[in-house]
Amino acid sequence: MENVKENENINITPSAPVEEPAPKKNNNARKKELIKRWVINLLPIAALGILFAVYMILLIVNDYKISMSLTAFINQAIIIAFVATGAIFIFTLGSFDISLGASTLFSATIGVIVYISTGSVFAMFIVCILVAVACSLLNSVIAAVFHLPMFVTTVAMLSVLTAVASNIIQTEGSATGTSYAISVPYAMRAGLEAFNSPILKLIVLAVFALICVFVFEFTKIGRKQKFLGGNPICAKMSGISVSIFGIIAFVMAGIGVGLGAGMTIVYAPSVSTTTAGSIGMSVFIAIVFGGMPISGGARSRIYAALVGGTSYILLQNILNILLQSMGGARDGWVQLISAITFLAVVFVTGMNYRTKNLPR
Amino acid sequence: MSSLLNKQNVKKVGIRAAGTLSIPLAFVVVLLIVCASNGKTLIGNEIEFNTFMINVAVIMCTTIALSINLGSGRFDFSLGSMATLSSIIAAKISYSAGGGNTNAFFMIFLCLVVGAVLGLISGGLYVLLKIPPIITSLGVTLIYEGISYVITEGTYLTKEPYSDSMVTAGSNWWITLLIVLAVLAIIYVVFDHTKFGREYRSLKEGQNISVNTGIKEIPNALICYSVCGALMGIVGFLRAANTHMIGGSQLNFGSISLMFTAFLPMFIGGFIGRFSNDKLGYFLAAICMALINSMFLQFTNELTQASTSIINAVLLVAFLIFLNNEQTCKDLVTGKLFKKWWAKFKDRKAKMAENKQ
Repeated sequence: MENVKENENINITPSAPVEEPAPKKNNNARKKELIKRWVINLLPIAALGILFAVYMILLIVNDYKISMSLTAFINQAIIIAFVATGAIFIFTLGSFDISLGASTLFSATIGVIVYISTGSVFAMFIVCILVAVACSLLNSVIAAVFHLPMFVTTVAMLSVLTAVASNIIQTEGSATGTSYAISVPYAMRAGLEAFNSPILKLIVLAVFALICVFVFEFTKIGRKQKFLGGNPICAKMSGISVSIFGIIAFVMAGIGVGLGAGMTIVYAPSVSTTTAGSIGMSVFIAIVFGGMPISGGARSRIYAALVGGTSYILLQNILNILLQSMGGARDGWVQLISAITFLAVVFVTGMNYRTKNLPR
Repeated sequence: MSSLLNKQNVKKVGIRAAGTLSIPLAFVVVLLIVCASNGKTLIGNEIEFNTFMINVAVIMCTTIALSINLGSGRFDFSLGSMATLSSIIAAKISYSAGGGNTNAFFMIFLCLVVGAVLGLISGGLYVLLKIPPIITSLGVTLIYEGISYVITEGTYLTKEPYSDSMVTAGSNWWITLLIVLAVLAIIYVVFDHTKFGREYRSLKEGQNISVNTGIKEIPNALICYSVCGALMGIVGFLRAANTHMIGGSQLNFGSISLMFTAFLPMFIGGFIGRFSNDKLGYFLAAICMALINSMFLQFTNELTQASTSIINAVLLVAFLIFLNNEQTCKDLVTGKLFKKWWAKFKDRKAKMAENKQ
């Protein structure tokens, strides 16, 4: 049975067809199919444009301060964008990391302690990145050494990192309402304020995204990772090491998480037990919303994280404005409509890749 | 000859019994020693036993629900949100139907029905949209959390799940035991002794081959999702009966933590199932996990919540390391591993000597 299962996974690429003058009708059908694919591939970017236009119109119509609203929007979206861009490398392998949110919380916790004790933003960012990379490496090394499924290792890591970070926050911080938080003292906040500029954040994101695009599209690392995600058996038989490329993917994700953690502290100069709580799952949404298949492989794109993350936050902001009159239940309605839109978008963008059997 | 066969049979039964009971017994012995050495009792009174039984039921139902779909490669994040939403809807209906007095029997029936319907909707979306189940379950989780929030306006339901019959249901361990036994029996019959169960196992082992031989995958998947939903409905009821409150304020995947508690019992149950039956395995694994929870309860002053989370995570990783390196672990215990290393070492030394010459 095992052999049968394995054989099912192997994509046998058909040999090159013998060149024959194809009938004109077939060519037209092919053209139509190509156009359909092209349109569907462009859909996430078009959706982002439309959502942004709608958001701007709503801001103007409702007399919102545009610069303030845009700054708030960038601050919300940028953390998901950093984490999701790095996480693309993991998703490309067909794997996923559920502990990204916990890793962000843990890195931010250590980062804020370092900032309070040194007063250096640079040291804070370096520590955030190092801690996040160390967490990622621990995940991938445990999985590689003990032959564990990557996902289960990340489930365990989620519990451990959340627990350790919460413990540190409760010990080092103070109670704020229903949770605990470590806050940067007011006297030290000026140092962080200098970095709390949307333009600067966007520049850092652009640099990180460009590095990721370079590694992903123009080096052997990206190509081999896509191969591993697309057809792991063939890739392994071609001599590509799952462990090595898994570790590289987790390191790249760690860098994204570290930058996201640093940006979290810069934006809100405190870290609480609930910080980054939903980031792990929001990254899933962002990547799929951006048009990338969850199974990874050759159709993986770095821009999917940026487009998807931004679109999802825009959608939530639009709904927040539209559903202002809903009172106490507004947050529920916003999530409900966002989820339905998410499923609809994924349904449309996945139309090119339907299988005969139910997908697994 | 017949005596030999009998001996073989006895040996087989012995191995199966030892394999089935070794982990639960080990858990009981270790936890009893830990408690006794600190002057504590693992389960000291009827209230603690009642909490233990509710934990067994909740963990067992969640584990079975998780394993039904995960075994077929369908990842379902929506289990927690289904438990919450089914109990909210059931509590609201039974409260208004009883004129402000919730009947526990009616409530559990409603939880089952509403849970099954929610599961069917989740499965229906998966079948209809034909997108990977992990993505569908993300969307469904958000939708169900959103609906729960809208119904409760982000607050806790406290008066609906509180009535005399709910208090009785939540404080009598034998009622929970009856629920556990009924669930176990029904799941055993449905998945091991029906046409649906055989088709489910066939699809689990080889999707393409099964579909090509004429097994209808869509109805099978829909039934699986409905069963999962019904099980989570029971979880919702048990939690409501135990705490007399239902939280509807969870948003942004706040409900998925329930699913993560079922991973370790699922792997332990799967291991026990190799020697007997996987459903029995999940039941025994749920007992193990509930015993750990009972121990944590005894050490509330000594152990923080962080420590208990770390212990659970370490147990999960340690057990998975054992499962994925079983032969190496056996060789380590029997000493074969050192012999292998020694032989390899000698081989290398000999080769190096040859190369030098």
